[in-house]
Amino acid sequence: MFIIRKIVLVSTINAVVTPALQADVLPGVSALSETIVRESAIAFVNTTASPGLEGATLSVNDGAREQWRSSLGFAAEFTLKDYIFNGYWGLALVGGSLNDKFELTGDDGQLVQFDLTRDVVALRGSFGLSFPVNQYLKIRPYLSLSVSDLQTEILVDGLLTTGPIENTTTTAVFNTKAQMLSTIGSVEALYSRWYGDNRLELSAHYHLIHTDSFSEDNPVLQTKALNDVFQLKSTFSGPTGLTSIGRPWRWLAYANHTNFLSQDKFSLGYTSLFEFGVGMEWRMNIKPLDWFGWQMLGLRAGVITSKDVEGFNVGLTGR
Amino acid sequence: MLLICTSIISAACVQPVKLKGEGYVLIRSNYPILYFNGEQIEPAYRLDIEAGENTVVIVYNTYQHDYYCTFSWTAVANAVYEVTDQENQYPLTLYRWVRTNSLWASRLDPVDPLDCIEQEKGGELI
Repeated sequence: MFIIRKIVLVSTINAVVTPALQADVLPGVSALSETIVRESAIAFVNTTASPGLEGATLSVNDGAREQWRSSLGFAAEFTLKDYIFNGYWGLALVGGSLNDKFELTGDDGQLVQFDLTRDVVALRGSFGLSFPVNQYLKIRPYLSLSVSDLQTEILVDGLLTTGPIENTTTTAVFNTKAQMLSTIGSVEALYSRWYGDNRLELSAHYHLIHTDSFSEDNPVLQTKALNDVFQLKSTFSGPTGLTSIGRPWRWLAYANHTNFLSQDKFSLGYTSLFEFGVGMEWRMNIKPLDWFGWQMLGLRAGVITSKDVEGFNVGLTGR
Repeated sequence: MLLICTSIISAACVQPVKLKGEGYVLIRSNYPILYFNGEQIEPAYRLDIEAGENTVVIVYNTYQHDYYCTFSWTAVANAVYEVTDQENQYPLTLYRWVRTNSLWASRLDPVDPLDCIEQEKGGELI
């Protein structure tokens, strides 16, 4: 008979790693490798804070993982007189959370249950150029710097502790923090064409992400990584005949695909997403600070799906 | 304090545009204005013009083509007009620019060009 004692350890994972078990993140659970911990943490940050991602609420593997992300940001081009190319800049504040429940078999054959919660807040700035190939096509390379603050809480149930008479299982909580600096090189190809009053927009996006991770309380997250993300986006929009304050509303339908190319499925349970939705755009056409054009404010609602993910996206967009 | 700072910052933002004189109109463009009322001029990004019927030709440059867009409109006295690219049906669109407040201006009454002539790169408008 096991006596289950609940204890709470607000400490680091490293604190329970003995010198002889440096390869193990958690003694007695060698199935939880450093690779899993690193890649899942970086994958979470990448799937939250990468450029081109919009808000989402995701349920992975029948509810075993729940993830959401939300962002408040703006991007715009600015004219460089006497040059064919334009400048491009963007700023975004991003937040997200992940709850992940999973089980591993301990080294002594016992079932170890994990309840992991990650929260991230990131600030991202982008700067680059936009090259108009012709009236319809632009190529836009840009560089982004993103600073993320990642907090993780892991509740582990089923760890074995050795007692004088018998082994007992315990529950432990580990809290860790990490700061991640991501340098992201992006290239986008944007095509748009009008058919009467209707407009078709197609774009392809590639992001190469170099992440430097720093953690004072978890050496496993003292690491670097290189990942890449590919996106295809399409939008079709048309007039509605509705106006507000003299400005027209347009309807839109969109379909997007995001593929986290270098992400292993074990990290978050998925590697790609499809999103389909509809929305409305209000062409407010203002110029904040008399500096850059803010054409529209929109409301979108979409469903997100893939082989391993179901979710939705409802949110405001601006352009 | 926040109010004072906000006021100072916002006052420095969208300023009323000074016009050349009563009855004049300012047109400013993100792309060079090449022709004004049929006359070729030195490429300019802003022009003080008289109110009334006016025609300008503005070039939108890309790496494959140059697009010479002709705008003809009735300019209202003491107004400010602005030409920019907004991925509309034509490469360029003319707006009436209105200072709404210190924080933003509005782009109103969009006018499409009469036409945009597509020329091969390096060609000239005939």
